[in-house]
Amino acid sequence: MNVSYLFKRLVSMLPLLLGVSLILFGVLHLAPGTPLDVYADNPSVSPEALEQMRLALGLDQPAHIQYFHWIRGFLTGEWGYSIRTGQPVTLEVVQHLGPTMLLGGVSFLLALLVAVPLGVISALRRSSAVDYTITFGAFLGISMPVFWLALMLQLLFSVQWRLLPSAGMSTIGDGSVLDLARHLILPACILAFASIAGWSRYMRSSMVEVLSQDYVRTARAKGLPGGQVVYRHALRNALAPMITVVALDFAGIVSGAVITETIFAWPGIGRLFIESMNGRDYPVLMALMMIGSLALLISNLIADLAYALADPRIRYE
Amino acid sequence: MKLSPISQHSVSRKSRLLLALTSVLLCGTALAQERGGTLTVGLSYDIDTLNVYSTGFLHDAVAPVIEGLLAPDKNAKYVPVLAREVPTVKNGGIKVAPDGKTMIITYKLRPNVKWHDGKPFTSADVRFTWEAVKNPKFIAESKSGTEDILRIDTPDPLTAVVHYKRIAPDFASTLFTFGMLPKHALEGKDLNTDPYNAKPLGTGPFIVKEFRRGQYVALTRNPNYWRKDAKGQQLPYLDAMNFKIIPDSNTLVTQLRSGEVQLAYNVPYAQVKQLDALPNMNVVQNKVLSWQHLDFNFKGPAALRDINVRQAFAHAINRDAVSKALGGYPVPIDSVVVPVFDAYNKNVPKYPYSLSRANAILDAAGYRRGSDGIRAKNGARLSFNIMVQAGRPNDEVAQQVIIANLKSIGVELKPDNKSGVAFREARYNGTYDLWYGGWITSADPVYSVFFGSKGVNNGQSYSNPRIDQLLAQAETTLDDDARRATLFTFQTELMKDLPTLPITTNISMIAFTNKLVNFTPNPTNMTNFVDVASWYLRK
Repeated sequence: MNVSYLFKRLVSMLPLLLGVSLILFGVLHLAPGTPLDVYADNPSVSPEALEQMRLALGLDQPAHIQYFHWIRGFLTGEWGYSIRTGQPVTLEVVQHLGPTMLLGGVSFLLALLVAVPLGVISALRRSSAVDYTITFGAFLGISMPVFWLALMLQLLFSVQWRLLPSAGMSTIGDGSVLDLARHLILPACILAFASIAGWSRYMRSSMVEVLSQDYVRTARAKGLPGGQVVYRHALRNALAPMITVVALDFAGIVSGAVITETIFAWPGIGRLFIESMNGRDYPVLMALMMIGSLALLISNLIADLAYALADPRIRYE
Repeated sequence: MKLSPISQHSVSRKSRLLLALTSVLLCGTALAQERGGTLTVGLSYDIDTLNVYSTGFLHDAVAPVIEGLLAPDKNAKYVPVLAREVPTVKNGGIKVAPDGKTMIITYKLRPNVKWHDGKPFTSADVRFTWEAVKNPKFIAESKSGTEDILRIDTPDPLTAVVHYKRIAPDFASTLFTFGMLPKHALEGKDLNTDPYNAKPLGTGPFIVKEFRRGQYVALTRNPNYWRKDAKGQQLPYLDAMNFKIIPDSNTLVTQLRSGEVQLAYNVPYAQVKQLDALPNMNVVQNKVLSWQHLDFNFKGPAALRDINVRQAFAHAINRDAVSKALGGYPVPIDSVVVPVFDAYNKNVPKYPYSLSRANAILDAAGYRRGSDGIRAKNGARLSFNIMVQAGRPNDEVAQQVIIANLKSIGVELKPDNKSGVAFREARYNGTYDLWYGGWITSADPVYSVFFGSKGVNNGQSYSNPRIDQLLAQAETTLDDDARRATLFTFQTELMKDLPTLPITTNISMIAFTNKLVNFTPNPTNMTNFVDVASWYLRK
């Protein structure tokens, strides 16, 4: 891997993002309704007032002019104001992105720390009771509805035992890290749960495949200690395909926590997206979708780069 | 613990409690007034802004912070807040011009009221509120009443004289009741983006301490509030109030059960029983000024313009079954005026549940059953879409009952559920066949917005000159008796013509800790938190 490759990849993102923005803008404006429809059933907003709002928001102009205004603003950092809240879009995004990154990041690490060892153990003890138990657990995890599991944990930890808060990000008036951590436990576990189930399966099959390779057999035949064979030789190679899956999932975890965020009243980007969508808050929606696309492209890039790091045979030019 | 319905008609546990409390206050016994506590309220929606004029939601979290000149009480009657009395023709507060076409309302303001920053509240703030909300640059959810006002004179700091362009009997349910804006803090500012929207300055019993978007609004006691209780003790009693945003209804109930939230309203009917079973929880019914109805779109399929079809619908829908499916809390209703109002007419034309009557009407009108069991006339099948707002469990349950009812008389209804702006657009533009949903009115209901030919909420394009005339009459008179008589006739005429079928009333279930004292639900869309000064939590 070299710097010019990285540069090339980054530059190639620009036209891609531009195209994505054009499509997103078009689709948004094709969808029924405009931000002003929230006033539609309000008897106190006269048609004249609505017309004034339409002019003020620039919604009277043809779509391509609106797009031009938007992209110019976006590139110069003028992301405008949320139609729904009147707050600057940048502030709105930052306020909601933080909690989501925190929740996503913690659950991501948690999932990784649990899924990899589970997969390895499962592969090493193939067709044993341990393997079956882990496999059973994984399928249970994949098929369990998130909202049901969340409700059960809330009832157990918050109502029955009163150990953890059932929702929210902080106790009102308490800004401590400990308080935040307590609020993080349940949603992070729930969010990690589904990933653990899937990832441990990937890890298992990848490990099984590597363990049957000639070089592992050679290493064993040469009398290397079992631990060294598994952890020095096999694991490193088995991790390589995992990296792609996990890195691509990262963008998904960050942006896909809508259900978890709603259940746990977590003030993240998922909920902001739903609220903005329901109100056709174009400025916020466009910003969120652009950030989402960018995150996906970057995690894609990271997956490729990490792959090269894990597997020296891969070189990008 | 039993459910106790709350209304002005029933002597409930709450009213007994109030009675007891009042007697304690009046007797001035040695019993010390308890006070204090932090009340945490759970809200099921995300708050967009704390500016009452721009929010798309109810004013729950702001009601304890900013006050209006008047406010509706627990009986939906207006009482003075920052004004000294409710202006009426009788007390000279309202003067009608000799030609009977315009009016002047004089508000005498309460002296010694201070904004949270210590500046005095004056008539200049009243005029500023009107000007600021009216300003075309201000993108507001509610500009109610601004266009009716010609000018506001402020002869002295405690007098505001409002000149109206028309006779507006509903003046109390708009502008000056929603809340006052501080002139000294907002003059020359852009109200669309001003930080005021996140930290409004008011005169109310509580001050906004912190608004964390998507999480909570924390309010703290206003130590310099203008009101004192009967014994001269400073109000409010509570130390603090928090409004916590919990979008998921299951989680909200969990929070009530774990004590993280102490009050929540609009608790889903299905979860009332488990909450009521808790030893430390009260659940009461609040009869809100709202009703559920099925509307026919007159721009839709031609059959819906046939009165026979509408009458058949009216007889075929089992409103008792709808009520039962909703836990029995909302009750069947025959008119669009809810029984809480004295203008409710219980003698409107009625359409009792009768499948044989419904079938007979359709047979006589020439709608014959086809091979698929669905009726048709001249090749047009009685098959329609029925829209409800997606994600509203109560509405979706009622929708199922209605679909099943209509199927048995050979009418096919297909669910067509929409959410967010798509739903609002369909309702407004009338891109639906049938719509089942709810309307809520203010304490001064204006029905022309729903049923007038030019009504803003008349997405169904209903037009009836007789109805228009009756509503115009009712909505331009200040004479309560004349108004009631006209509204009586309006209801009768409407139920003859059946543009809409009233199905049930709406009941909001409120769950709260039994430690909360003095809480009284408010039936209006001004929220339950319009009068919180005397609430406190027992130790």
